Amino acid sequence: MTTEAPLLRLEHITRSFGAIQALRDISFEMARGEVVALLGDNGAGKSTLVKIISGGLEPSSGKVIYDGEERHFTSPADGKAAGIETVYQDLSLCTNVDVVANFFMGREIVKKYFGVPVLQEKAMEEVVAKAMAAAGTKIPSLRTNVEHLSGGQRQAIELNRFVHWGGKLVLLDEPFAALGVEQTRRGLDLIRRIADQGIGVVFITHIMSQAFQVADRMVVIRQGTVAGDVRTAETSPDEIVQLITGEALGGRARNVDQSKGQAQPAG
Amino acid sequence: MLSSNRRVAIEFVLDHLVWFILVAVLVLFSLTIPNYFQIGIFANIVEQSTFVGTLAIGLSLLIIAGYMDLSIESVMALAAMVVGILFAKSGVGFGFGFTPAWLVVPISLMIALGVGALVGASNAFFVVKLKMNSFIVTLAAFIWGRGLVVALSGGRSAQELPAELRFLAIQRFLQIPLMAWVAIIATLVFAFILNRTPFGRHLLMIGGNPTAAYRAGIKVDRLTATTFVLAGAIAGLAGWLLAIRTSGATANLGVGMLFQTFAAVVIGGVSLKGGVGSLPGVYAGVLLLASIQTAINLMGMPAHFTQLIQGGMVLVAVLLDTFKLSIRKRLA
Repeated sequence: MTTEAPLLRLEHITRSFGAIQALRDISFEMARGEVVALLGDNGAGKSTLVKIISGGLEPSSGKVIYDGEERHFTSPADGKAAGIETVYQDLSLCTNVDVVANFFMGREIVKKYFGVPVLQEKAMEEVVAKAMAAAGTKIPSLRTNVEHLSGGQRQAIELNRFVHWGGKLVLLDEPFAALGVEQTRRGLDLIRRIADQGIGVVFITHIMSQAFQVADRMVVIRQGTVAGDVRTAETSPDEIVQLITGEALGGRARNVDQSKGQAQPAG
Repeated sequence: MLSSNRRVAIEFVLDHLVWFILVAVLVLFSLTIPNYFQIGIFANIVEQSTFVGTLAIGLSLLIIAGYMDLSIESVMALAAMVVGILFAKSGVGFGFGFTPAWLVVPISLMIALGVGALVGASNAFFVVKLKMNSFIVTLAAFIWGRGLVVALSGGRSAQELPAELRFLAIQRFLQIPLMAWVAIIATLVFAFILNRTPFGRHLLMIGGNPTAAYRAGIKVDRLTATTFVLAGAIAGLAGWLLAIRTSGATANLGVGMLFQTFAAVVIGGVSLKGGVGSLPGVYAGVLLLASIQTAINLMGMPAHFTQLIQGGMVLVAVLLDTFKLSIRKRLA
Protein backbone atom coordinates (compact mmCIF):
# COMPACT_ATOMS: atom_id res chain seq x y z
CA MET A 1 0.00 0.00 0.00
CA THR A 2 2.81 2.40 0.85
CA THR A 3 4.34 2.28 -2.60
CA GLU A 4 1.03 2.81 -4.32
CA ALA A 5 -0.28 6.31 -4.94
CA PRO A 6 -3.09 7.23 -2.57
CA LEU A 7 -6.62 6.80 -3.85
CA LEU A 8 -7.50 10.35 -2.91
CA ARG A 9 -5.40 13.32 -1.89
CA LEU A 10 -6.80 16.72 -1.02
CA GLU A 11 -4.41 19.65 -1.00
CA HIS A 12 -5.36 22.94 0.62
CA ILE A 13 -9.01 22.83 -0.35
CA THR A 14 -11.00 25.98 0.37
CA ARG A 15 -14.58 26.79 -0.38
CA SER A 16 -16.50 30.02 0.17
CA PHE A 17 -20.19 30.76 -0.11
CA GLY A 18 -20.25 34.52 -0.58
CA ALA A 19 -18.60 36.01 2.49
CA ILE A 20 -18.77 32.73 4.41
CA GLN A 21 -15.75 30.48 4.27
CA ALA A 22 -17.06 26.96 4.78
CA LEU A 23 -13.69 25.30 4.18
CA ARG A 24 -10.49 27.19 5.02
CA ASP A 25 -7.74 24.68 4.36
CA ILE A 26 -8.35 20.97 4.04
CA SER A 27 -5.56 18.51 3.27
CA PHE A 28 -5.58 14.77 3.79
CA GLU A 29 -5.18 11.58 1.85
CA MET A 30 -6.52 8.07 1.92
CA ALA A 31 -5.58 4.69 0.47
CA ARG A 32 -7.58 2.06 -1.36
CA GLY A 33 -9.52 -0.19 0.96
CA GLU A 34 -9.34 2.34 3.75
CA VAL A 35 -12.36 3.41 5.81
CA VAL A 36 -12.12 7.01 6.92
CA ALA A 37 -14.59 8.51 9.35
CA LEU A 38 -15.18 12.21 8.85
CA LEU A 39 -16.11 13.77 12.16
CA GLY A 40 -16.95 17.28 13.22
CA ASP A 41 -19.59 19.45 14.80
CA ASN A 42 -22.62 20.72 12.91
CA GLY A 43 -21.49 23.33 10.42
CA ALA A 44 -17.86 22.27 10.55
CA GLY A 45 -17.88 21.75 6.79
CA LYS A 46 -18.15 17.95 6.50
CA SER A 47 -21.00 17.92 4.02
CA THR A 48 -19.38 20.65 1.93
CA LEU A 49 -16.21 18.59 1.79
CA VAL A 50 -18.07 15.47 0.75
CA LYS A 51 -19.79 17.41 -2.02
CA ILE A 52 -16.45 18.69 -3.27
CA ILE A 53 -14.99 15.18 -3.40
CA SER A 54 -18.00 13.82 -5.30
CA GLY A 55 -18.27 16.71 -7.75
CA GLY A 56 -21.45 18.28 -6.37
CA LEU A 57 -19.51 21.45 -5.55
CA GLU A 58 -16.30 22.87 -6.94
CA PRO A 59 -13.60 24.06 -4.51
CA SER A 60 -12.75 27.78 -4.49
CA SER A 61 -9.08 26.80 -4.46
CA GLY A 62 -6.93 23.75 -3.81
CA LYS A 63 -6.39 20.46 -5.57
CA VAL A 64 -8.33 17.20 -5.65
CA ILE A 65 -5.98 14.43 -6.70
CA TYR A 66 -7.81 11.19 -7.26
CA ASP A 67 -6.44 7.95 -8.62
CA GLY A 68 -3.12 9.63 -9.39
CA GLU A 69 -4.50 12.56 -11.35
CA GLU A 70 -5.68 16.04 -10.54
CA ARG A 71 -9.45 16.22 -11.11
CA HIS A 72 -11.88 19.04 -11.72
CA PHE A 73 -15.31 17.54 -11.32
CA THR A 74 -18.07 19.92 -12.26
CA SER A 75 -21.04 17.64 -11.54
CA PRO A 76 -21.84 14.46 -9.62
CA ALA A 77 -21.95 12.76 -13.03
CA ASP A 78 -18.21 13.53 -13.49
CA GLY A 79 -17.42 12.07 -10.09
CA LYS A 80 -19.55 9.05 -10.80
CA ALA A 81 -17.84 8.45 -14.13
CA ALA A 82 -14.53 8.41 -12.24
CA GLY A 83 -15.87 5.91 -9.69
CA ILE A 84 -16.79 8.24 -6.83
CA GLU A 85 -20.31 8.09 -5.52
CA THR A 86 -22.24 9.48 -2.58
CA VAL A 87 -24.86 7.67 -0.62
CA TYR A 88 -26.79 10.39 1.15
CA GLN A 89 -28.84 10.42 4.29
CA ASP A 90 -32.02 10.85 2.29
CA LEU A 91 -31.16 7.81 0.14
CA SER A 92 -30.40 8.06 -3.54
CA LEU A 93 -33.21 5.75 -4.57
CA CYS A 94 -36.49 6.30 -6.37
CA THR A 95 -38.95 4.45 -4.19
CA ASN A 96 -41.70 4.52 -6.82
CA VAL A 97 -39.90 2.07 -9.11
CA ASP A 98 -38.61 -1.46 -8.53
CA VAL A 99 -35.24 -2.77 -7.38
CA VAL A 100 -34.03 -3.51 -10.90
CA ALA A 101 -34.89 -0.01 -12.12
CA ASN A 102 -33.05 1.52 -9.19
CA PHE A 103 -30.02 -0.65 -9.70
CA PHE A 104 -29.73 0.52 -13.30
CA MET A 105 -30.78 4.12 -12.71
CA GLY A 106 -29.33 6.11 -15.61
CA ARG A 107 -27.43 3.11 -17.07
CA GLU A 108 -30.24 0.92 -18.33
CA ILE A 109 -29.52 -1.92 -20.71
CA VAL A 110 -31.22 -1.08 -23.99
CA LYS A 111 -31.54 -2.57 -27.40
CA LYS A 112 -32.25 -0.30 -30.33
CA TYR A 113 -35.13 -1.06 -32.62
CA PHE A 114 -35.24 1.33 -35.58
CA GLY A 115 -33.15 3.73 -33.53
CA VAL A 116 -35.52 3.64 -30.55
CA PRO A 117 -33.84 2.44 -27.36
CA VAL A 118 -35.97 -0.19 -25.62
CA LEU A 119 -35.39 -1.36 -22.05
CA GLN A 120 -34.23 -4.97 -21.71
CA GLU A 121 -35.95 -5.88 -18.46
CA LYS A 122 -35.02 -9.55 -18.38
CA ALA A 123 -31.34 -8.94 -18.98
CA MET A 124 -31.31 -6.27 -16.29
CA GLU A 125 -33.07 -8.48 -13.76
CA GLU A 126 -30.51 -11.24 -14.28
CA VAL A 127 -27.62 -8.85 -13.65
CA VAL A 128 -29.20 -7.56 -10.45
CA ALA A 129 -29.97 -11.07 -9.18
CA LYS A 130 -26.34 -12.05 -9.72
CA ALA A 131 -24.95 -8.95 -8.03
CA MET A 132 -27.25 -9.30 -5.02
CA ALA A 133 -26.45 -12.97 -4.62
CA ALA A 134 -22.72 -12.26 -4.77
CA ALA A 135 -23.03 -9.73 -1.96
CA GLY A 136 -25.25 -12.00 0.12
CA THR A 137 -28.13 -9.53 0.07
CA LYS A 138 -31.57 -11.09 0.15
CA ILE A 139 -34.54 -9.21 -1.22
CA PRO A 140 -37.88 -11.02 -1.62
CA SER A 141 -38.57 -9.83 -5.16
CA LEU A 142 -36.48 -7.66 -7.43
CA ARG A 143 -39.72 -6.46 -9.00
CA THR A 144 -40.97 -4.96 -5.74
CA ASN A 145 -41.10 -1.20 -5.63
CA VAL A 146 -38.43 0.04 -3.27
CA GLU A 147 -41.05 1.82 -1.13
CA HIS A 148 -41.99 -1.59 0.29
CA LEU A 149 -38.45 -2.41 1.44
CA SER A 150 -36.79 -1.68 4.76
CA GLY A 151 -34.13 0.96 5.33
CA GLY A 152 -31.42 -1.66 5.59
CA GLN A 153 -32.46 -3.33 2.33
CA ARG A 154 -32.46 0.04 0.61
CA GLN A 155 -28.96 0.77 1.76
CA ALA A 156 -27.80 -2.65 0.65
CA ILE A 157 -29.23 -1.95 -2.81
CA GLU A 158 -27.33 1.32 -2.98
CA LEU A 159 -24.03 -0.11 -1.86
CA ASN A 160 -24.31 -3.16 -4.11
CA ARG A 161 -25.17 -0.87 -6.98
CA PHE A 162 -22.09 1.17 -6.24
CA VAL A 163 -19.76 -1.82 -6.11
CA HIS A 164 -21.30 -3.31 -9.23
CA TRP A 165 -20.69 -0.19 -11.29
CA GLY A 166 -16.98 -0.19 -10.58
CA GLY A 167 -16.97 2.36 -7.79
CA LYS A 168 -13.61 3.09 -6.19
CA LEU A 169 -14.51 5.60 -3.53
CA VAL A 170 -17.85 5.72 -1.73
CA LEU A 171 -18.95 8.67 0.35
CA LEU A 172 -21.56 8.06 3.00
CA ASP A 173 -23.28 11.01 4.64
CA GLU A 174 -24.86 9.85 7.92
CA PRO A 175 -25.58 6.41 6.45
CA PHE A 176 -27.31 4.97 9.49
CA ALA A 177 -29.30 7.96 10.69
CA ALA A 178 -32.63 6.29 9.96
CA LEU A 179 -31.76 2.69 10.78
CA GLY A 180 -32.37 0.47 13.80
CA VAL A 181 -29.70 -1.29 15.83
CA GLU A 182 -29.66 -4.54 13.88
CA GLN A 183 -29.79 -2.82 10.49
CA THR A 184 -26.96 -0.51 11.52
CA ARG A 185 -24.83 -3.50 12.49
CA ARG A 186 -25.44 -5.07 9.09
CA GLY A 187 -24.64 -1.75 7.44
CA LEU A 188 -21.32 -1.54 9.25
CA ASP A 189 -20.54 -5.12 8.17
CA LEU A 190 -21.31 -4.14 4.61
CA ILE A 191 -18.93 -1.17 4.80
CA ARG A 192 -16.18 -3.45 6.02
CA ARG A 193 -16.85 -5.93 3.22
CA ILE A 194 -16.79 -3.19 0.62
CA ALA A 195 -13.51 -1.82 1.94
CA ASP A 196 -12.03 -5.33 1.89
CA GLN A 197 -12.62 -5.34 -1.85
CA GLY A 198 -10.21 -2.41 -2.16
CA ILE A 199 -12.79 0.35 -2.22
CA GLY A 200 -12.19 3.54 -0.27
CA VAL A 201 -14.97 4.53 2.13
CA VAL A 202 -15.43 8.00 3.60
CA PHE A 203 -18.30 8.31 6.01
CA ILE A 204 -19.72 11.17 7.98
CA THR A 205 -21.21 10.31 11.31
CA HIS A 206 -22.19 11.93 14.55
CA ILE A 207 -22.12 8.68 16.45
CA MET A 208 -18.64 7.97 17.65
CA SER A 209 -19.18 4.31 18.48
CA GLN A 210 -19.89 3.69 14.78
CA ALA A 211 -16.70 5.46 13.79
CA PHE A 212 -14.69 3.41 16.25
CA GLN A 213 -16.30 0.15 15.10
CA VAL A 214 -15.50 0.41 11.43
CA ALA A 215 -13.06 3.22 10.60
CA ASP A 216 -9.33 2.73 10.04
CA ARG A 217 -8.69 6.41 10.42
CA MET A 218 -10.55 9.47 11.66
CA VAL A 219 -10.35 12.91 10.19
CA VAL A 220 -11.80 15.64 12.35
CA ILE A 221 -12.96 18.86 10.72
CA ARG A 222 -13.33 21.99 12.81
CA GLN A 223 -14.24 25.40 11.43
CA GLY A 224 -13.26 24.39 7.92
CA THR A 225 -9.82 22.99 8.70
CA VAL A 226 -8.47 19.56 9.56
CA ALA A 227 -8.22 19.59 13.34
CA GLY A 228 -7.00 16.02 13.58
CA ASP A 229 -6.07 13.05 11.38
CA VAL A 230 -5.47 9.99 13.53
CA ARG A 231 -5.48 6.21 13.22
CA THR A 232 -8.37 4.64 15.07
CA ALA A 233 -6.05 2.26 16.86
CA GLU A 234 -4.02 5.16 18.24
CA THR A 235 -6.78 7.36 19.57
CA SER A 236 -9.61 7.42 22.07
CA PRO A 237 -13.09 8.87 22.10
CA ASP A 238 -11.94 11.60 24.50
CA GLU A 239 -9.24 12.76 22.18
CA ILE A 240 -11.71 12.86 19.29
CA VAL A 241 -14.20 14.88 21.34
CA GLN A 242 -11.47 17.34 22.18
CA LEU A 243 -10.54 17.63 18.52
CA ILE A 244 -14.15 18.15 17.55
CA THR A 245 -14.94 20.78 20.16
CA GLY A 246 -11.50 22.37 20.06
CA GLU A 247 -11.22 22.40 23.82
CA ALA A 248 -7.73 22.17 25.21
CA LEU A 249 -6.98 19.53 27.80
CA GLY A 250 -8.62 21.22 30.72
CA GLY A 251 -11.16 20.59 33.40
CA ARG A 252 -13.77 19.27 31.02
CA ALA A 253 -11.38 17.00 29.26
CA ARG A 254 -10.41 15.35 32.51
CA ASN A 255 -14.06 14.67 33.23
CA VAL A 256 -14.38 13.05 29.87
CA ASP A 257 -11.34 10.95 30.70
CA GLN A 258 -13.26 9.15 33.40
CA SER A 259 -15.72 7.75 30.95
CA LYS A 260 -12.97 6.35 28.83
CA GLY A 261 -13.96 3.64 26.44
CA GLN A 262 -17.55 4.73 26.18
CA ALA A 263 -19.02 6.12 23.06
CA GLN A 264 -19.40 9.87 23.07
CA PRO A 265 -21.94 11.70 21.03
CA ALA A 266 -20.14 14.09 18.78
CA GLY A 267 -22.26 17.11 19.10
CA MET B 1 -48.43 -7.89 7.83
CA LEU B 2 -50.33 -8.82 4.71
CA SER B 3 -49.42 -11.91 2.77
CA SER B 4 -47.59 -10.96 -0.39
CA ASN B 5 -50.21 -12.59 -2.62
CA ARG B 6 -52.93 -10.49 -1.19
CA ARG B 7 -50.81 -7.40 -1.46
CA VAL B 8 -50.13 -8.12 -5.11
CA ALA B 9 -53.88 -8.53 -5.67
CA ILE B 10 -54.75 -5.27 -3.92
CA GLU B 11 -51.95 -3.47 -5.77
CA PHE B 12 -53.31 -4.79 -9.05
CA VAL B 13 -56.81 -3.52 -8.28
CA LEU B 14 -55.48 -0.12 -7.18
CA ASP B 15 -53.29 0.15 -10.27
CA HIS B 16 -56.16 -0.68 -12.60
CA LEU B 17 -59.01 0.74 -10.53
CA VAL B 18 -60.23 2.94 -13.36
CA TRP B 19 -60.82 -0.03 -15.69
CA PHE B 20 -62.97 -1.71 -13.05
CA ILE B 21 -64.94 1.49 -12.56
CA LEU B 22 -65.33 1.97 -16.33
CA VAL B 23 -66.70 -1.54 -16.84
CA ALA B 24 -69.02 -1.19 -13.85
CA VAL B 25 -70.35 2.15 -15.08
CA LEU B 26 -70.88 0.88 -18.64
CA VAL B 27 -72.75 -2.18 -17.38
CA LEU B 28 -74.86 -0.05 -15.04
CA PHE B 29 -75.77 2.45 -17.78
CA SER B 30 -76.46 -0.33 -20.30
CA LEU B 31 -78.88 -1.96 -17.89
CA THR B 32 -80.66 1.17 -16.68
CA ILE B 33 -80.67 3.64 -19.56
CA PRO B 34 -82.74 2.73 -22.62
CA ASN B 35 -80.79 2.76 -25.88
CA TYR B 36 -77.41 3.05 -24.13
CA PHE B 37 -76.27 -0.40 -25.17
CA GLN B 38 -75.50 0.19 -28.86
CA ILE B 39 -72.34 0.02 -30.92
CA GLY B 40 -73.08 3.51 -32.18
CA ILE B 41 -73.18 4.89 -28.64
CA PHE B 42 -69.90 3.26 -27.74
CA ALA B 43 -68.28 4.48 -30.95
CA ASN B 44 -69.56 7.93 -30.09
CA ILE B 45 -67.97 7.72 -26.64
CA VAL B 46 -64.63 6.91 -28.25
CA GLU B 47 -65.09 9.75 -30.73
CA GLN B 48 -65.88 12.22 -27.97
CA SER B 49 -62.76 11.11 -26.13
CA THR B 50 -60.45 12.24 -28.93
CA PHE B 51 -59.51 15.72 -27.72
CA VAL B 52 -59.44 15.21 -23.97
CA GLY B 53 -57.71 11.88 -24.60
CA THR B 54 -54.95 13.57 -26.59
CA LEU B 55 -54.53 16.45 -24.14
CA ALA B 56 -54.36 13.96 -21.28
CA ILE B 57 -51.21 12.33 -22.69
CA GLY B 58 -49.09 15.45 -22.26
CA LEU B 59 -50.62 16.41 -18.94
CA SER B 60 -50.02 12.88 -17.60
CA LEU B 61 -46.37 12.89 -18.64
CA LEU B 62 -45.79 16.16 -16.82
CA ILE B 63 -47.68 15.21 -13.67
CA ILE B 64 -45.82 11.88 -13.59
CA ALA B 65 -42.57 13.85 -13.77
CA GLY B 66 -43.79 15.93 -10.82
CA TYR B 67 -44.89 19.08 -12.66
CA MET B 68 -48.13 20.66 -13.77
CA ASP B 69 -49.35 22.03 -17.08
CA LEU B 70 -52.47 24.16 -17.02
CA SER B 71 -51.71 25.73 -20.40
CA ILE B 72 -52.72 22.74 -22.54
CA GLU B 73 -56.29 23.90 -23.20
CA SER B 74 -55.20 27.31 -24.46
CA VAL B 75 -52.34 25.78 -26.43
CA MET B 76 -54.84 23.48 -28.11
CA ALA B 77 -57.08 26.43 -28.97
CA LEU B 78 -54.12 28.44 -30.21
CA ALA B 79 -52.92 25.65 -32.50
CA ALA B 80 -56.48 25.14 -33.79
CA MET B 81 -56.86 28.87 -34.44
CA VAL B 82 -53.55 29.14 -36.28
CA VAL B 83 -54.53 26.18 -38.48
CA GLY B 84 -57.99 27.75 -38.95
CA ILE B 85 -56.62 31.16 -39.90
CA LEU B 86 -54.10 29.73 -42.36
CA PHE B 87 -56.17 27.06 -44.08
CA ALA B 88 -59.90 27.74 -43.54
CA LYS B 89 -61.65 29.30 -46.53
CA SER B 90 -64.08 31.68 -44.82
CA GLY B 91 -64.36 33.83 -41.71
CA VAL B 92 -60.89 35.01 -40.63
CA GLY B 93 -59.27 32.20 -42.64
CA PHE B 94 -56.85 32.98 -45.47
CA GLY B 95 -57.52 29.63 -47.14
CA PHE B 96 -53.96 28.85 -48.22
CA GLY B 97 -53.83 25.80 -50.45
CA PHE B 98 -51.18 23.59 -51.99
CA THR B 99 -50.69 21.47 -55.07
CA PRO B 100 -51.14 18.61 -54.62
CA ALA B 101 -53.92 19.52 -52.22
CA TRP B 102 -53.20 16.73 -49.73
CA LEU B 103 -49.98 18.52 -48.71
CA VAL B 104 -52.18 20.56 -46.39
CA VAL B 105 -52.41 17.54 -44.07
CA PRO B 106 -48.71 17.20 -43.11
CA ILE B 107 -48.06 20.94 -43.32
CA SER B 108 -50.97 21.93 -41.07
CA LEU B 109 -50.00 19.13 -38.65
CA MET B 110 -46.41 20.39 -38.49
CA ILE B 111 -47.62 23.93 -37.87
CA ALA B 112 -49.97 22.83 -35.09
CA LEU B 113 -47.25 20.74 -33.43
CA GLY B 114 -44.82 23.63 -33.84
CA VAL B 115 -47.15 26.15 -32.21
CA GLY B 116 -47.65 23.78 -29.28
CA ALA B 117 -43.96 22.99 -28.95
CA LEU B 118 -43.19 26.73 -28.92
CA VAL B 119 -45.49 27.40 -25.97
CA GLY B 120 -44.15 24.25 -24.31
CA ALA B 121 -40.60 25.55 -24.77
CA SER B 122 -41.58 28.86 -23.21
CA ASN B 123 -43.04 27.00 -20.21
CA ALA B 124 -39.89 24.91 -20.01
CA PHE B 125 -37.71 28.02 -20.02
CA PHE B 126 -39.49 29.56 -17.05
CA VAL B 127 -39.79 26.34 -15.06
CA VAL B 128 -36.42 24.72 -15.76
CA LYS B 129 -34.10 27.68 -16.37
CA LEU B 130 -35.65 30.24 -14.04
CA LYS B 131 -36.84 27.65 -11.49
CA MET B 132 -40.35 29.10 -11.37
CA ASN B 133 -43.29 27.09 -10.09
CA SER B 134 -44.85 25.18 -12.99
CA PHE B 135 -48.38 25.74 -11.70
CA ILE B 136 -47.99 29.53 -11.94
CA VAL B 137 -46.02 29.53 -15.19
CA THR B 138 -48.55 27.36 -17.00
CA LEU B 139 -51.49 29.22 -15.44
CA ALA B 140 -50.04 32.34 -17.01
CA ALA B 141 -49.72 30.54 -20.35
CA PHE B 142 -53.32 29.34 -19.98
CA ILE B 143 -54.42 32.97 -19.71
CA TRP B 144 -52.18 34.57 -22.33
CA GLY B 145 -52.68 31.65 -24.70
CA ARG B 146 -56.42 32.23 -24.75
CA GLY B 147 -55.80 35.96 -25.00
CA LEU B 148 -53.67 35.38 -28.07
CA VAL B 149 -56.42 33.26 -29.65
CA VAL B 150 -58.91 36.10 -29.23
CA ALA B 151 -56.38 38.68 -30.42
CA LEU B 152 -55.43 36.70 -33.53
CA SER B 153 -59.03 36.05 -34.55
CA GLY B 154 -60.42 39.37 -33.40
CA GLY B 155 -63.02 37.30 -31.60
CA ARG B 156 -64.34 35.96 -34.88
CA SER B 157 -64.15 32.43 -36.22
CA ALA B 158 -62.51 30.61 -39.10
CA GLN B 159 -64.62 28.15 -41.06
CA GLU B 160 -64.39 25.58 -43.82
CA LEU B 161 -61.18 23.63 -43.70
CA PRO B 162 -60.24 21.84 -46.93
CA ALA B 163 -61.78 18.42 -47.60
CA GLU B 164 -58.37 16.75 -47.38
CA LEU B 165 -58.30 17.60 -43.67
CA ARG B 166 -61.99 17.01 -43.04
CA PHE B 167 -61.44 13.48 -44.34
CA LEU B 168 -59.95 12.55 -40.96
CA ALA B 169 -63.14 13.55 -39.15
CA ILE B 170 -65.51 11.93 -41.62
CA GLN B 171 -63.81 8.73 -42.70
CA ARG B 172 -64.37 5.89 -40.25
CA PHE B 173 -62.58 2.68 -39.48
CA LEU B 174 -64.57 0.20 -37.36
CA GLN B 175 -67.23 2.90 -36.91
CA ILE B 176 -64.69 5.18 -35.28
CA PRO B 177 -63.46 8.28 -37.13
CA LEU B 178 -59.79 8.35 -38.11
CA MET B 179 -59.05 11.29 -35.82
CA ALA B 180 -60.10 9.21 -32.80
CA TRP B 181 -57.67 6.55 -33.97
CA VAL B 182 -54.98 9.21 -34.03
CA ALA B 183 -55.64 9.84 -30.32
CA ILE B 184 -55.64 6.12 -29.54
CA ILE B 185 -52.42 5.50 -31.43
CA ALA B 186 -50.78 8.50 -29.77
CA THR B 187 -51.80 7.08 -26.37
CA LEU B 188 -50.31 3.69 -27.23
CA VAL B 189 -47.10 5.21 -28.58
CA PHE B 190 -46.56 7.29 -25.46
CA ALA B 191 -47.54 4.40 -23.20
CA PHE B 192 -44.74 2.44 -24.86
CA ILE B 193 -42.33 5.33 -24.41
CA LEU B 194 -43.26 5.66 -20.75
CA ASN B 195 -42.96 1.96 -19.92
CA ARG B 196 -40.32 0.59 -22.21
CA THR B 197 -37.77 3.30 -22.99
CA PRO B 198 -35.09 4.93 -20.82
CA PHE B 199 -36.77 8.30 -21.39
CA GLY B 200 -40.00 7.11 -19.79
CA ARG B 201 -38.22 5.26 -17.02
CA HIS B 202 -36.24 8.37 -16.17
CA LEU B 203 -39.40 10.46 -16.21
CA LEU B 204 -40.92 8.18 -13.55
CA MET B 205 -37.73 8.43 -11.52
CA ILE B 206 -37.72 12.22 -11.69
CA GLY B 207 -41.29 12.19 -10.44
CA GLY B 208 -40.34 9.83 -7.63
CA ASN B 209 -37.13 11.45 -6.45
CA PRO B 210 -35.56 14.12 -8.66
CA THR B 211 -32.51 14.44 -6.43
CA ALA B 212 -31.74 10.74 -6.69
CA ALA B 213 -32.21 10.87 -10.45
CA TYR B 214 -29.88 13.85 -10.70
CA ARG B 215 -27.25 12.14 -8.55
CA ALA B 216 -27.50 9.05 -10.72
CA GLY B 217 -26.40 11.18 -13.65
CA ILE B 218 -29.79 11.50 -15.31
CA LYS B 219 -30.06 14.84 -17.10
CA VAL B 220 -33.08 15.97 -15.14
CA ASP B 221 -33.30 19.50 -16.53
CA ARG B 222 -33.04 18.42 -20.13
CA LEU B 223 -35.59 15.67 -19.66
CA THR B 224 -38.02 18.00 -17.90
CA ALA B 225 -37.66 20.64 -20.60
CA THR B 226 -38.22 17.99 -23.28
CA THR B 227 -41.37 16.87 -21.53
CA PHE B 228 -42.78 20.39 -21.42
CA VAL B 229 -42.11 20.76 -25.15
CA LEU B 230 -43.71 17.36 -25.78
CA ALA B 231 -46.78 18.25 -23.71
CA GLY B 232 -47.08 21.46 -25.74
CA ALA B 233 -46.73 19.61 -29.04
CA ILE B 234 -49.33 17.04 -27.96
CA ALA B 235 -51.72 19.86 -27.07
CA GLY B 236 -50.96 21.19 -30.56
CA LEU B 237 -51.97 17.80 -31.95
CA ALA B 238 -55.23 18.00 -29.99
CA GLY B 239 -55.79 21.45 -31.46
CA TRP B 240 -55.19 20.15 -34.97
CA LEU B 241 -57.74 17.36 -34.43
CA LEU B 242 -60.24 19.77 -32.90
CA ALA B 243 -59.90 22.19 -35.82
CA ILE B 244 -60.51 19.32 -38.22
CA ARG B 245 -63.54 18.18 -36.26
CA THR B 246 -65.12 21.64 -36.11
CA SER B 247 -63.84 22.48 -39.61
CA GLY B 248 -62.23 25.65 -38.32
CA ALA B 249 -61.85 27.42 -35.02
CA THR B 250 -63.71 29.82 -32.79
CA ALA B 251 -62.26 32.09 -30.14
CA ASN B 252 -63.75 30.05 -27.30
CA LEU B 253 -62.89 26.66 -28.77
CA GLY B 254 -62.38 23.94 -26.16
CA VAL B 255 -63.16 26.06 -23.11
CA GLY B 256 -63.51 23.79 -20.07
CA MET B 257 -61.48 20.93 -21.50
CA LEU B 258 -58.60 21.60 -19.09
CA PHE B 259 -60.63 20.47 -16.14
CA GLN B 260 -62.08 17.49 -17.95
CA THR B 261 -58.53 16.49 -18.84
CA PHE B 262 -57.36 17.07 -15.32
CA ALA B 263 -60.20 14.94 -13.95
CA ALA B 264 -59.52 12.17 -16.47
CA VAL B 265 -55.82 12.09 -15.63
CA VAL B 266 -56.44 11.81 -11.91
CA ILE B 267 -59.29 9.32 -12.33
CA GLY B 268 -56.96 7.38 -14.63
CA GLY B 269 -54.63 6.72 -11.73
CA VAL B 270 -51.94 9.38 -12.16
CA SER B 271 -50.94 10.51 -8.69
CA LEU B 272 -50.68 14.25 -8.15
CA LYS B 273 -47.64 13.50 -6.00
CA GLY B 274 -45.80 12.46 -9.16
CA GLY B 275 -44.04 9.25 -10.11
CA VAL B 276 -47.14 7.08 -10.53
CA GLY B 277 -49.41 6.53 -13.52
CA SER B 278 -50.00 4.73 -16.78
CA LEU B 279 -51.35 6.12 -20.03
CA PRO B 280 -53.84 3.33 -20.85
CA GLY B 281 -55.35 4.02 -17.41
CA VAL B 282 -55.64 7.68 -18.27
CA TYR B 283 -57.39 6.83 -21.52
CA ALA B 284 -59.82 4.70 -19.51
CA GLY B 285 -60.39 7.76 -17.32
CA VAL B 286 -61.23 9.78 -20.43
CA LEU B 287 -63.63 7.09 -21.63
CA LEU B 288 -65.26 7.01 -18.20
CA LEU B 289 -65.97 10.75 -18.29
CA ALA B 290 -67.32 10.52 -21.83
CA SER B 291 -69.57 7.56 -20.86
CA ILE B 292 -71.09 9.58 -18.06
CA GLN B 293 -71.59 12.59 -20.31
CA THR B 294 -73.28 10.39 -22.89
CA ALA B 295 -75.56 8.96 -20.22
CA ILE B 296 -76.58 12.45 -19.14
CA ASN B 297 -77.35 13.38 -22.75
CA LEU B 298 -79.35 10.21 -23.34
CA MET B 299 -81.42 10.74 -20.22
CA GLY B 300 -82.29 14.17 -21.57
CA MET B 301 -80.93 16.01 -18.60
CA PRO B 302 -80.10 19.69 -19.17
CA ALA B 303 -76.51 20.36 -20.23
CA HIS B 304 -75.57 22.20 -17.07
CA PHE B 305 -75.89 18.89 -15.20
CA THR B 306 -72.79 17.77 -17.08
CA GLN B 307 -70.85 20.62 -15.53
CA LEU B 308 -72.19 19.85 -12.07
CA ILE B 309 -71.22 16.22 -12.41
CA GLN B 310 -67.82 17.01 -13.87
CA GLY B 311 -67.08 19.30 -10.95
CA GLY B 312 -68.05 16.50 -8.61
CA MET B 313 -65.92 14.06 -10.58
CA VAL B 314 -62.81 16.21 -10.15
CA LEU B 315 -63.41 16.25 -6.42
CA VAL B 316 -64.02 12.51 -6.30
CA ALA B 317 -60.89 11.91 -8.38
CA VAL B 318 -58.62 13.84 -6.04
CA LEU B 319 -60.31 12.18 -3.07
CA LEU B 320 -59.64 8.81 -4.70
CA ASP B 321 -55.99 9.76 -5.18
CA THR B 322 -55.63 10.53 -1.48
CA PHE B 323 -57.56 7.41 -0.54
CA LYS B 324 -55.38 5.16 -2.71
CA LEU B 325 -52.27 6.72 -1.23
CA SER B 326 -53.41 5.92 2.29
CA ILE B 327 -54.22 2.32 1.33
CA ARG B 328 -50.79 1.95 -0.23
CA LYS B 329 -49.17 3.38 2.88
CA ARG B 330 -50.93 0.82 5.00
CA LEU B 331 -49.80 -1.92 2.60
CA ALA B 332 -46.17 -0.89 2.80
